[in-house]
Amino acid sequence: MVPDSVYGAVLLSIIDFFLSIVMITGIGFVLTLFPLLNRLGTLDEEKIRKGGH
Amino acid sequence: MFEQVLTFLQAMADQTGVAHFWWGNLVMIAIGCTMILLAITKKYEPLLLIGIGFSCVISNVPGSDLVLPGGLFNYAYHGIELLVIPPLIFFGVGAMTDFGPMIANPKLVVLGALAHLGIFISLIGAKALGFSINESGAIGIIGGADGPMAVFVCVKLAPHLLPQVAVAAYSYMALMPLIQPPVIKLFTSREERLIRMRQMRPVSRLEKIAFPIVMGIVVNLFFPPVAPLITMLMLGNLFKECLVTDRLYKTAANDLMNVIIIILTVGIGSTMNAEKFLTVKTIEIVILGLVAFLGGTASGVLGAKFMNLFLKEKINPCLGAAGIASVPIAARVAHIVAAKEDRENLLIYHAMGPNLAGVFGTAISGGIMLALLGVQ
Repeated sequence: MVPDSVYGAVLLSIIDFFLSIVMITGIGFVLTLFPLLNRLGTLDEEKIRKGGH
Repeated sequence: MFEQVLTFLQAMADQTGVAHFWWGNLVMIAIGCTMILLAITKKYEPLLLIGIGFSCVISNVPGSDLVLPGGLFNYAYHGIELLVIPPLIFFGVGAMTDFGPMIANPKLVVLGALAHLGIFISLIGAKALGFSINESGAIGIIGGADGPMAVFVCVKLAPHLLPQVAVAAYSYMALMPLIQPPVIKLFTSREERLIRMRQMRPVSRLEKIAFPIVMGIVVNLFFPPVAPLITMLMLGNLFKECLVTDRLYKTAANDLMNVIIIILTVGIGSTMNAEKFLTVKTIEIVILGLVAFLGGTASGVLGAKFMNLFLKEKINPCLGAAGIASVPIAARVAHIVAAKEDRENLLIYHAMGPNLAGVFGTAISGGIMLALLGVQ
C-alpha cells in the first residue's frame, strides 16, 4: 500500500499526522457534547454505592 | 589420571556461566545496575526500572535458567510477545485513571495529537537509515511514549525488534523527568511558563460513566487494529466510575496491576541480552527513540503556543509536553517545570487532560499506521 521508501515514509507520516489531528479533534468535539448528558438528570452516588460490591 | 581430572574440570567449567562471560555482558550488567541506581537514588520510575534493571542484570549472567525457554522470565516475555500483558496493563491503568480533566477541557485534547510529531520524525529517520517501512513504523511509535501501545504496534509491524523497541520506550518513559524539562524550557519563555489555567468545571458521575462506553464504541468503530488496548482501558475505567464494582476496580488498579508490572518489567529486562542487544541497530533504535521523545515534546509545546495564537484565554504551553502520553509522568513533568517558576501554579490536573488525550493520540496514530501499512 505505502511504498517501502523514504518517500513512502514521508507520505505515511503526513497522512497519519493529519488524520490523527482530525480524529482527535473529533473526539474533542464528542467531549464538548458531554455536558448535555447532565440534562438527563443527576445520579445519586450514595444510592448507587449502596447496591454495589 | 591428572589429564582426566583436568578434562572433567574443564567440562564442568563449560557448564557454568563463567566460561561464556564476555565484555558485552559486563556492559549490559552495568546498564542494568545504572537503572536500579537511578530508581533508588533519583526515584526515576522505580516501579519500572527496578524490575527491568534486575532482569537485565540476570539475563546477562550466562547460564541463567530464568531467561532460557521454560524459565519464568522467558514466560513473562511470551506474555508480552503474545499481546496478553499490554491490554491488561491498559485495564489496570483505566481503573487507576480519572478521565475528568480530559472530559472537562476538550479543547486541550488536540494536544494529544500535536505532541506526536516525534513519531513521524523518527519514522522518516529510521527509513533513511535503511530500516524497512514496517520496522520504521515500529521504531517511530516509541515516540508515542506509551509502552503497551509501542509493544502492541511493534508486535504487529516488526516483532523481531520488540526487545529494542520495548526497552527504548519504557526506559525513555522512565527518564522523562530528565528528557522533557530542557526541551520545554528551550521553547517557552518564563512568562509563558507562569500562565495560570482557569479552574475546570466539575464533571458529573453520569459523564464519567458515559465516557468509557462512548469511547469504547468510537475506538472499536474507527480504529479496530488498536481497539483491544483502548477497550481494556475503558473497561477498567468503567469498573472505577460505575461505583458498584469496587472489588473489581480495586483489584484491577492494585493487585492485578502490580502483578502485571512485575511480569512486564522482568519480561522486558530479560530481552536485554548483550548478544542480541549490543548491535548497531539497537544503538540506532535507541537514538531514534530519543529523537522521537524530544521531537514529540517540542511539537507539543509548539502546538500549545500555536493554539494560543487563536485562544482568548491563553494556555500554559508546558501542557503541550504532557500530550506525549506516558501517563502520568509527562503530566507531572509539565507541572514541575511550571511550578519551578511559580510554586502556587498547580498545573497537574490541567496537564492530565492532554496527557490522557495523548494515550488516545498514540492509539489513533498507531491504528492509522497499521491500516495504511495493511496490517490487521
